[in-house]
Amino acid sequence: MADRDAFVVAGREFDSRLLAGTGKYDSFETMREALAASGSEIVTVAVRRIDLDSAAGDITDFLPDGVLLLPNTSGCETAEEAVRTARLARAGGLPDWIKLEVIPDPRYLLPDPVETLRAAAELVEDGFTVLPYVLPDPVLQKKLEEVGCATVMPLAAPIGSGRGLKFRDAIRIMVEQAEVPLVVDAGLGAPSHAADAMELGADAVLVNTAIARADDPIAMARAFRLAVEAGRTAFHAGVMDERADAEASSPLTGAVHRS
Amino acid sequence: MTTASVLVNGRDRPLADGETLAALLERLGLGARYALVERNGEPVERGRYGEVRLEDGDRLVVARPVAGG
Repeated sequence: MADRDAFVVAGREFDSRLLAGTGKYDSFETMREALAASGSEIVTVAVRRIDLDSAAGDITDFLPDGVLLLPNTSGCETAEEAVRTARLARAGGLPDWIKLEVIPDPRYLLPDPVETLRAAAELVEDGFTVLPYVLPDPVLQKKLEEVGCATVMPLAAPIGSGRGLKFRDAIRIMVEQAEVPLVVDAGLGAPSHAADAMELGADAVLVNTAIARADDPIAMARAFRLAVEAGRTAFHAGVMDERADAEASSPLTGAVHRS
Repeated sequence: MTTASVLVNGRDRPLADGETLAALLERLGLGARYALVERNGEPVERGRYGEVRLEDGDRLVVARPVAGG
């Protein structure tokens, strides 16, 4: 394994394979420290209308230096809404990278694959670097790659559910056939879930709630950073195959009590 | 005589004569680093905020980055 195992998205290199969301923190100050502890170099933000009565507090004042701001299209239920949000963000000076989310269903927050693909094609055509959030669907993955997406980001489990890799077999297929980085996004509740995804061969993970809602978000951010590094290192080292029966680690002969 | 006005996020705001987008944002306390603006449904490039002169009846959406996943 090379000294540097860079995570490369659209030709840009990152050292960290942990992407972080900025939602649900108790304060911007805690968020800032947790983001720093996570080591994340890509940090998501949402885009919302400014409340004219209370415009105080700009999140961008609290982001660690040098991180890439990744606006998302949360709140969009159709391709048109997502494209509009992305264009507004870019025109206003945010990066031309977009985390594409098209989510019509408020209960499970599952992304609409048809609208996501439509929006992805249009945004790529318009010059965006597109990182789409999807259900773990290997067929959709290929179609998103064909239209030029920079990553594909399947969910582990529903957003904020903290349930870990519930679609393991589908994600395994996606890892196997990925031609652009595969980022497991949403549903990872514990560092072990993140390590699990990385051991399986995901290129990166995106975590928000599990860090922001921990009793100690700063310590949890560090735990996720370590877990992602551990999982990635284990992936390269080669995780052993499971077997049904036991295999002794110690010699079976020459025990002291035997003559 | 009626005063010129614009709609900002659905609310009526008076418009000064010949006011630019940048000046309006500043006056409304929205001169944030990342004020993102749509004018009459079209996104406005940040570099043009200082030169876009608003007109009576313009509809503006002003957004910004907020916490999100």
